[in-house]
Amino acid sequence: MDKFVAFLENNLSTPMAKLSEQKHLRAIRDGVVSALPFIIFGSLFLIIAFPPVAADSAVGEWAAKHIAEILIPYRLTMFIMTLYITFGIGYSLSQSYKLDPLSGGLLSLAAFLFTIGVKMMDGVGFVLPMTNLGGHGLFVGMLVSIFAVEILRLCKTKNITIKMPDSVPTSVARSFEALIPVTIVLLVMTVITVVFGVDMHSLVDKAVAPLISAGDTLPGVLVPVFLITFFWSFGIHGVSVVGAVARPVWEVYLANNSAAVAAGKAIPHIAPETFFQWFIWIGGSGATLGLVIAMLLTAKSSYSKAMGKATIVPSIFNINEPVIFGMPIVLNPVLIIPFIITPLIGATLAYVATSMGLVNPTYVMVPWTLPAPIGAYLSTGGDWRAIVLVMVNLTISVIIYLPFFKMYDKKLLAQETSVETTDNKKIAL
Amino acid sequence: MMKVLFVCSGGMSSAIVVSALKKEGAKQGIDIEVLAVGSQEFDAEVRNGWDVAMVAPQVKHRFDGFKESADDAGVPCEAIPAQAYSPLGGPKLLKLVTELAKL
Repeated sequence: MDKFVAFLENNLSTPMAKLSEQKHLRAIRDGVVSALPFIIFGSLFLIIAFPPVAADSAVGEWAAKHIAEILIPYRLTMFIMTLYITFGIGYSLSQSYKLDPLSGGLLSLAAFLFTIGVKMMDGVGFVLPMTNLGGHGLFVGMLVSIFAVEILRLCKTKNITIKMPDSVPTSVARSFEALIPVTIVLLVMTVITVVFGVDMHSLVDKAVAPLISAGDTLPGVLVPVFLITFFWSFGIHGVSVVGAVARPVWEVYLANNSAAVAAGKAIPHIAPETFFQWFIWIGGSGATLGLVIAMLLTAKSSYSKAMGKATIVPSIFNINEPVIFGMPIVLNPVLIIPFIITPLIGATLAYVATSMGLVNPTYVMVPWTLPAPIGAYLSTGGDWRAIVLVMVNLTISVIIYLPFFKMYDKKLLAQETSVETTDNKKIAL
Repeated sequence: MMKVLFVCSGGMSSAIVVSALKKEGAKQGIDIEVLAVGSQEFDAEVRNGWDVAMVAPQVKHRFDGFKESADDAGVPCEAIPAQAYSPLGGPKLLKLVTELAKL
């Protein structure tokens, strides 16, 4: 068993985790993460615009009347998230190459704007259509920021730059340094989007369409769920590894869902990241709040009793590293089994409930440290049935964890009593 | 006074371990200043005069990158063993940190 575990760790989980540290993947992840505060802020206005109250109540009528104004903060943040993300990707990627991050961020942003196209509107002047600035344009944003920063890097390493005499102040010299890469990147973008009139968004849309539809199926939900707990079983932060690849897709779902709500249309996707966060990861990856409750209910060994008390509060707020490393679940065959099974069952149930229309799909992003019932309620735009689903999944997780925990606790208790009989009052940690 | 910098994914979970370390330090009469940061802040923060940098086990696959930043700043940097990364792991962690700070 130990050999098998070591084999998996050395040949599978560690190499895969290292892969997620690939520079471009990491830059995309960090870029998306840097935009999350804006996405959270903007999505809260969706709740105000569509408050969870009766439509004919005073609040409901007020919201319906002022919906366009209420949604302005949403339109300027979440609705155009790719604008922010593109800058973030360019910034992070240049930073990892030790290039000037500000130049990289700005150049990526400019390259992305070239894919949007300018329109003339009577009475308004020139406008940028906003649709592709949002989640819809995310994949194009990723591509052009990587392209922009790679050109920047190429110019730097090949020393293609305008050299200023030493007497020129450094800040002035730097702005000239960026001139050649900026010219190359933006000329290429001009040729593609203006001269040839290529709509990069519709091209990329077609290319990623299979990925977008695959991620929204039941297997598309179960695979990342399994991988996340699989990585955690070796002590590796599963969400940060799997998210490096899956998060762009999850963000597109969230953006599409929120845009549909704002436009008064049916919500298209089941599985944005918020779906995983609130219905599956109750108490953190592996739905470990169920384990902690099982600990509080039945712990016999003094170690489990102490752990249960120490981890219940952080678990309510979805922080479970203390449980994962403290119990530990990591490399612990007894607890890894329910740790992997519980989220798969929770995910299936939540997927079926959402696709049958028993619970609203999620479209609001709230901070992940909220207790699950509150987070689920808010992210479904105030659907009380989401709380019921969370409670059902939580109960199931307690039931699954319970027998495995008891088995492990018995072992701990036996260790403690044997240590005590050898007259060592200290509990082996 | 010993200054210890922790890094984990978001700076949240290590905060719990940090409080375990502080409590243990107080028990043994060692004055410790601890800060937990997320992986994105680490590179900038590690340059601000820390004695030791500790990497949480769940981000050990990113250890090489953290180590590079810490080496740049001349700060000894070590991964935290999984068993010490727990609210009850204070004593083990304190021992590790004090040994590392002496180097």
